[in-house]
Amino acid sequence: MLPSYFEFYNPVKIVSGHKALDNLPYELSQMGVTRPLIVTDKGVVGAGLIRIVQEAFGSSGMTIGAIYEDVPPDSSVDVVNAIAEVYRANGCDGLVAVGGGSPIDTAKGVNIVVSHDKGDLKDYMGADRLTGPLKPLVVVPTTAGTGSEVTLVAVIADTKRNVKMAFVSRHLLPNLALIDPRMTLTMPAKITAATGMDALSHAMEAYTCLQKNPLSDAHATAAISLISRYLPVAVEDGKNATARLALANASCMAGAAFSNSMVGMVHALGHAAGAVCHIPHGVAMGIFLPHGLAYNLPERAEIIGELLLPLGGAEIYAATPPKSRPERLLESLNTLQKDLESKAGLPMRLKDAGAREDQLGEIALKAINDGALMMNPKEMDMEDAKAVLKKAF
Amino acid sequence: MQKKYDPVTPGRKWFKELVAQVVFFVLGRAFQSAAKLDAGIRREVAEWEEGFILAMCILPKGPSMMLKKVDGRVCYAGWAKEDADLIIRFKNIESAFLVLTPQMGAAQAFAENRLSLVGDVARSMSFVRCLDRLLAYLYPAFICRPLVKRMPPVLRPIRRRLYIYTLGIPFGL
Repeated sequence: MLPSYFEFYNPVKIVSGHKALDNLPYELSQMGVTRPLIVTDKGVVGAGLIRIVQEAFGSSGMTIGAIYEDVPPDSSVDVVNAIAEVYRANGCDGLVAVGGGSPIDTAKGVNIVVSHDKGDLKDYMGADRLTGPLKPLVVVPTTAGTGSEVTLVAVIADTKRNVKMAFVSRHLLPNLALIDPRMTLTMPAKITAATGMDALSHAMEAYTCLQKNPLSDAHATAAISLISRYLPVAVEDGKNATARLALANASCMAGAAFSNSMVGMVHALGHAAGAVCHIPHGVAMGIFLPHGLAYNLPERAEIIGELLLPLGGAEIYAATPPKSRPERLLESLNTLQKDLESKAGLPMRLKDAGAREDQLGEIALKAINDGALMMNPKEMDMEDAKAVLKKAF
Repeated sequence: MQKKYDPVTPGRKWFKELVAQVVFFVLGRAFQSAAKLDAGIRREVAEWEEGFILAMCILPKGPSMMLKKVDGRVCYAGWAKEDADLIIRFKNIESAFLVLTPQMGAAQAFAENRLSLVGDVARSMSFVRCLDRLLAYLYPAFICRPLVKRMPPVLRPIRRRLYIYTLGIPFGL
């Protein structure tokens, strides 16, 4: 399906492969950075991943401005301001985020603060509030799911007002994404499964929602093929570097896809379930993805059926009549979920993920006000959301 | 003799700008009126903060309109003069003309990147739901259906349409 009009923007340079990290100093020097500030968290340091980053700077002649390793799981304005102080005090001239969603979003927030002489972070909240380019930002993902290395969004909590602030701007896109399988080798099986389902939901929603376009479709289907083939492998054998690299690439491609064609109700429900019941995002994506596809089936049957090719493979696709492909796709997804549940303990239902039935109304209310819903092909009101949540419970 | 290359000043699309300004006025007044009549819009507006300002404008300096929540009610406040909490910006007059005339729905316009949002994204969802209900009052079903994902279930559409067109838009009631 060719849209009558579309836009696609992804200026992030992607450097991907075994030992790709060794190119970090060279890439930084190409951007004019001489004293980068590394933003990371305790988990990354504990897993020994910062040591690999530090080693990459060996014999480069470059000085690391500082390594800020205290980013909490839910980043906040205070943390962003504290890091900005370190950045200025140490005369840094660029940022390197090493981690999952939280360090990456934090680094994006820091970049807003250090790139503007005046104003508070909250002055730039919302969509398109940033008007000029920011400082150079390199992202080294240590999970394979968020795709934050190629997205234009950052979410940072304002703990004083108890709200999550979303920042959306093309200027938040990093300059460089460095994908090195060494950075995901230590990820436990359950997190591997959850982040893999997150990437799969990015790709599938990008492919099925209203803003789909040929370029995002190409990224999405390539990502789905890799996830389908390598996610079970990586969950079973975490040290398999080929599977890790494949998933990191898939996550990056899914990120580029959904950055340009947006996501839909699966993410709206997932964001809401995360806010109300603190269900990890990847776990929520795994739970809601089949329900979201089933809900949108009346509007998008043919498009959803097309996903059987990258998910199920050419043989299953060819052997399934076109009319049966959407149902077969849901079956394949269900098989993958069950596999991940048995191998990694990834919950398939909301109640198994810690949600209570009396929280469903609150989740539904938050979900219908989530911006992701705008691009969902089928309208979802409060009653529809409650019905989907009930099925997922 | 050397050819002279003078600066070129493109003309203005006066007719489309005029139509857009008239439609902004109609939309603003109709929204104000429908917010009193329709329980669905009332419920949505109740969630907006007091003093919340929503603006719609056409870039770079085209027609605009502003809605403001004052004393619990939404009022049409003319041209967008103040800094708004949520600004819906049409990227050019042609895109605005498509949406305002109404040949294209809001979701499709967002999907085609014809609009950009500045500010509180979550409130835009509420506004679009209100807009869908408003369209169901302003236009008959055969015009409204292609503009929305699903026809909103509104009560007494013909009676209320008559009220909005005869009292709401001209007199702001």
